[in-house]
Amino acid sequence: MSPSDEPIIEVRDLVKKFGERTVLNGISFSVRRGETLIIMGGSGCGKSTLLRHIIGSIKPTSGSIKIFGKEITTMKRAELDRLRLRFGMNFQFGALLQSLTVGENVALPLVENSKVDPGIIDLVVKMKLELVGLTGFEHLKPAEISGGMRKRVGLARAVALDPELLFSDEPTSGLDPIMTAVIDELTLDLTRKLHMTAVVVTHDMVSAFRIGTQMIVLGAGRRAGTVIARGTPDDIRNSPDPEVQQFIKGEADGPVPLKLSPEDYITRLLGHERDKGLSY
Amino acid sequence: MAAVAGFLQLNAQVLYWFFVAPFAGKPAVRFSQVVHQMVRIGVQAVPMTALTSFSIGLTLAMQAAQELSRMGATSYVPDLISMSLLRELGPLLVGVVVIGRSGSAVTAELGTMKVSEEIEALEVMAIDPVRYLVAPRFLAMVIMLPALVVFGNYIGFVGGWSICRFSLDMNTGAYIMRLIASATPLDLFSGLVKSFVFGWLIGTISCQKGLSVTGGAEGVGRNTTGSVVTSIISMLVANAILTAVFFFAE
Repeated sequence: MSPSDEPIIEVRDLVKKFGERTVLNGISFSVRRGETLIIMGGSGCGKSTLLRHIIGSIKPTSGSIKIFGKEITTMKRAELDRLRLRFGMNFQFGALLQSLTVGENVALPLVENSKVDPGIIDLVVKMKLELVGLTGFEHLKPAEISGGMRKRVGLARAVALDPELLFSDEPTSGLDPIMTAVIDELTLDLTRKLHMTAVVVTHDMVSAFRIGTQMIVLGAGRRAGTVIARGTPDDIRNSPDPEVQQFIKGEADGPVPLKLSPEDYITRLLGHERDKGLSY
Repeated sequence: MAAVAGFLQLNAQVLYWFFVAPFAGKPAVRFSQVVHQMVRIGVQAVPMTALTSFSIGLTLAMQAAQELSRMGATSYVPDLISMSLLRELGPLLVGVVVIGRSGSAVTAELGTMKVSEEIEALEVMAIDPVRYLVAPRFLAMVIMLPALVVFGNYIGFVGGWSICRFSLDMNTGAYIMRLIASATPLDLFSGLVKSFVFGWLIGTISCQKGLSVTGGAEGVGRNTTGSVVTSIISMLVANAILTAVFFFAE
């Protein structure tokens, strides 16, 4: 099935400033139903902040975010909550409630937001844990399982209500290659078979090119907080932008320099004194 | 100022979840969670409350006996114990025990949840953290603090009795009769009103401090200390105001 033309997420000119620091600087993109958008970029470039804006956790300084055609930046809490029932969020470190067991964590959205029979909830929990390869772990506490397992429980919880829209923040970092492939296959299944729309923030290039249908790359350095490339995986692979190439090939040196030139290094290190006219 | 605004906002939200939301078709606060918190905040604080109250009853009796014996009025020791415990020391000391034991724990727990993104996860799942986390702790606090105060009063009387019985050779029956004769319903009532207000303050302050944690483990520590300090100061101020109210009301 080909993705429909209806945009599920529409972000326009998104700007976020924390004090003087501009973290996101005029980000625009849209995601259509059934697509998987990959958000890539170096550490600290604002990927997670961007995702937090889309799920409504942070309000932007300016710009617009529409989800299912509705503007969420000015939305009231009650309306945002109704919208949130239609999407699932898989946090970077799982964000499981430590006081609940794995099973109770997965059941939480169902218990709190629906009036489903407890027997059915049990069944759904088992099904969702089976999806992420964690059958039989229902009764353990999050502290008793590994970090990778917690991320998978987080994913199971995110899809507990069979959302139309799935957000994942680095779903495969810290997982072994087999589990990474399992999670990728699961995301592909959800988007292809159930027509779910996914937005995935990742550093993992193999995973990104395996599941992505659309990609955006956020810049570093002088271009921090802006989209430096967007398009299909092929567009990104063939991008002429050297920073994009450096990023997807994982090279230490390039437009984002490994080491500064001696002049730049001195300027950055002692720039303050230099301004005062001291010579070196 | 921001903290005061946050505190008042949290109060309004808690009241909304108890008195408005159930009638507006919103999910109610879960009874099972309230009971769970009542056990943690109240039942598990029983040994500590008993120890504190017994020791206070005991020392009050000793101090009173020493002073009153000079005037040959040791028979008035139970009067002094009953009035001090019911009106002042009972609510205050149990309040301090609950602040140190449960208020700090609530702040640290909610603060850690904030730091590890659990609160944000709840919000994204359309589960209001005030309904799910704050309301049960608040209700448990305002129910269990008065209950602990009543319990603590009894244990304090037992502490006083041990001195009156074994040191002042007072008859147990006489001690009880003296206690009953000297205490008025207003004594008990004023203590209970105080403990209800203290419970309200401790519940909201500790939750608000927990939810406003920023900056990792250090922030959790900072806010936990802040929660204990603010709770104690607020409790002392409220105590002075309420004592004045009851003093002028009589």
